[in-house]
Amino acid sequence: MPTKKYQVVLAPRSIRVLTASLLGVALFTGCSSGQSTTPGAQTPASSPKGDLNVVVSSATGSDAGFQAVNKAFAAKYPGVNIKFTAIPNENYAAAHSSRLSAGSIDVGLAGPQELPSYVPASNEGDDARLADAGGLVDLTSQDFMKNFTPTVLDAIKYKGKQYTVPTGLSYYSGVYYNKTIFEKYGLKIPTTWSEFMTVCQTLKSKGVVPLGISGKDSAGVNMLGVVQDLYPNKQDKVDLAKGLWDKSIKLTDGKQLEVLTKVKSLYDLAEPNFAGVSYNTMTAGFVKGQFAMMSDGTWNQTTIDSAGGSSFKYGYFPLPSSDNAADNALLGGKVELTLAVPSNSKNIGTAMAYLSFFSQPENYKLFLKEAGFAPSQPNMETTPFFTSIAAYTKTFQPAWDTIWVANAKAGAKAQFPFNYSGIAPLGSLTPAQAAAASQADWASGF
Amino acid sequence: MSDYFVFGRRSTVRASFLVGLLPVIAFALLPAVAVLVISLTDVRALPYLPVHWVGIENYQSFFSAAHLGYNVNALKNTFIFAFLVTVLQNVLALLIAVLLNQRLRGTTFYRSVVFLPTILGVTVIGLIWSLMFNPTASPGAAIWRWFGASSAFFGDPNITLYLVIFVQVWAGIGVAVVIYLAGLQAIPAELYEVASIDGANSWQKLRRITYPLLGPSVTANMLLCIVGSLQSYQLIYVLTGPNNDATQVLSLAIFTQGFGGSASGGAAQSQGYAAAISIIQFIMVGVVSLIVLAYLRRRQADL
Repeated sequence: MPTKKYQVVLAPRSIRVLTASLLGVALFTGCSSGQSTTPGAQTPASSPKGDLNVVVSSATGSDAGFQAVNKAFAAKYPGVNIKFTAIPNENYAAAHSSRLSAGSIDVGLAGPQELPSYVPASNEGDDARLADAGGLVDLTSQDFMKNFTPTVLDAIKYKGKQYTVPTGLSYYSGVYYNKTIFEKYGLKIPTTWSEFMTVCQTLKSKGVVPLGISGKDSAGVNMLGVVQDLYPNKQDKVDLAKGLWDKSIKLTDGKQLEVLTKVKSLYDLAEPNFAGVSYNTMTAGFVKGQFAMMSDGTWNQTTIDSAGGSSFKYGYFPLPSSDNAADNALLGGKVELTLAVPSNSKNIGTAMAYLSFFSQPENYKLFLKEAGFAPSQPNMETTPFFTSIAAYTKTFQPAWDTIWVANAKAGAKAQFPFNYSGIAPLGSLTPAQAAAASQADWASGF
Repeated sequence: MSDYFVFGRRSTVRASFLVGLLPVIAFALLPAVAVLVISLTDVRALPYLPVHWVGIENYQSFFSAAHLGYNVNALKNTFIFAFLVTVLQNVLALLIAVLLNQRLRGTTFYRSVVFLPTILGVTVIGLIWSLMFNPTASPGAAIWRWFGASSAFFGDPNITLYLVIFVQVWAGIGVAVVIYLAGLQAIPAELYEVASIDGANSWQKLRRITYPLLGPSVTANMLLCIVGSLQSYQLIYVLTGPNNDATQVLSLAIFTQGFGGSASGGAAQSQGYAAAISIIQFIMVGVVSLIVLAYLRRRQADL
C-alpha cells in the first residue's frame, strides 16, 4: 500500500533556481567587498618572524639571485621561515592571481603602469587597479627606497607614489653575436640597417644561418628590436602611441608598415622552421654555433655563459633597424622584476623587513651577481658583460612595450599593436596584409 | 505488490540521497549558477577591486566587431578539432578493440600498451610530443626528411591543428578501446558462428553484427568524445601555447581571458568576460550533445 506520509512540498523549480542564484550573488559580493584597505604607512619589523611567502616568476638567473638573498636573510633572522616560490612564466598569471586572492603572498611582483591621458581608464592593467584600490602597500616614505637610482624610481612611479622595489634593468632590443664566427669571416658589428643586411648576406653566402629566432614563444623581441631604432627616443614612441590612440596615424602608414617589412626581413634570415623552435632550443642552438646571431634579451646572458663555458665568445649589440647610425646607438630596456607587498599579506612587517634587507647594497650585490640584470642602484660593480655594453646603455631608453597600452576593446591583432605574428611563416600574411589586419582590429575598438 | 525500499523506509532513502546530493550541489550546481551570475558582472581576479553589475555587456563584447573575428576563428577550430578527434578516435578504437578481442598471444600486453597513454598526464604527453616534433632534431624531423621535406611542426599554422588532433587521439584512444572491448564481449559468440556458417566474411560480420550490437558503447564513446573534445584545451595549451591563432579553441580563449594566458599574451578582459564565453560554450556543447544523443538513441531504438 503506497504511503502518503512523506510527501514533501517543494517550491516550484523556477523559484529554487532563483534562490540558488541569489544566494550565489550574495555570497560572492560579500566576498569581494569584505576586505578593507590597510590604513597608514607600514614599517619594517625590527625583529622579523613567522612565515614569509615570496612569490615571483621564474627565470634561471633571478631565481638564483633570490635564493642567495633568502639565504642571507634567513641567516640574519632565524625566526623567519621563508617560503620561496618561483612560478614558470606560462602559469604565472593564473597562479599569482589565485594566491593573491587567498592572501598568501607576502612579497610578490607588481608593475602598476600609469595610463597616459589619452587612454580611457577602462584599459587600466590589473596591477594599476590594485594600486588604486589600496591593494599594494605604499613604499614612498620608506628609507630603503633611497638606495635606488632616482631615474629608475621615476620610471616605476605610479601616480606620484612608489609601490615597488626595482630589482634591476634588462635590455632586449639587441642581438647576441658569436664572436668566433664574426672573426672567422672578418665581420664587424653593423651600425646601420644596410650594414646589418650586408653582414647577413655574407654569412648566408658562406652557408651560415645569420639569425636565430624562437618563433614558438618569443618572436616578439624581434619586433621590439626593430621598433626601438625606428622610433629612437622616448618621445618618438610616446608620439607613436598617442597618434594611434587619437587615430591621427595608421598602422598601414609609412614607418609603421616599415616595422613589419623589416620584421619580415629578419624572418627571412632566420634558421629554417624557426616558427616551431622554442626559446630554450634557440639558446642551445646559438651556443652550439648553429647561427651567428640571436635576437634576445640580456636576461639570458647568465644561461649562455654557463652553457657555453669559457671557450664560447659572444657579445651583444643593438639591432640596427634604422639607416641612421645615431638612431641605433642605444639599447631599449625595461625595469625588471619589481617587488611589492600586497595589503592583504598576513605578515606585512616581515615583508617590509625583507624589502629593506634586499635594498641594502651589500645584499643587493648578492642578488645582482646571480641574476644577470643591470643594477638599479648607483655605484654598483657591473659584470664584464654589462661593462662590454656600457656604451649602449649609458642613457636608459624605455622599450616600446613599456610605453604602449593596448585597447582592451580592440581586436586581438592590434595588441602590440604591430602584427608580427601574422606574417608568414608565423602566420600566413604578407607585411602589408598583416598591417591592414591589425589596423582593422585597432579601428574596431573605437 | 508493495514498493520495496532499502532499509525499509522511504525517508532513509531520501536522507542518504540528500547526503550524496549535497556535495554535487555545492561543487557542481552552485558554481555553474555562479558562473552565469559572474558573466553579468565585470569581476576581475584580484582582491580589493569593486565589482559592478554590467548586464549583457560581456556578451555584446563577445559578438562585437573587434572580437568576432577572433571568436569565430576559435569556434571554427573547436568544431574541426571536435569532429576529427571524435571520428578518428572512435573508428580507430573500434578497429583496435575488434583486433584485441581475439584470442591471440599477448593480448593482455597489447591492451596495456594501448591504455598506457591515458595514465600519462597532459604535461608529460605535451613534453613527449614537443620533443618528438622538434623542428631542429627529432624523430618527427627525421621521418619528414625521408620524404625530402622539413617542417616547423607545431609552428606551421597549416598543420599544427592536425598534429594536435593526432596527439589528442593518441592520448584518448585507450579509454575508447576499453569501452568498446567491454561492449564486444557482451556480444554472444554464437552469432559469429552462425554468420560464418552462412558464409559471411570479416567485413560483413563487423558491419552487420558487431556495429549494430555495440549501440550502447558507441553512444557512450561518442558522447564522451564530443563533450570532451569540445571543451578540451589542456593539450593544445601545452603543445602550442595559449596565443596561437591556428590552434585557438573556445575553451582556451576562456582560459586566456580569465587568467591572462601567458606573461606576454592576451589583453586580459575581466573574468566576467571569461565567464560569458564559458556560458556560450556551455550552450554550444549542450545543443550539440542533445542533437547527437537524440540521433544515437534513435539508432539504438531502431534495432
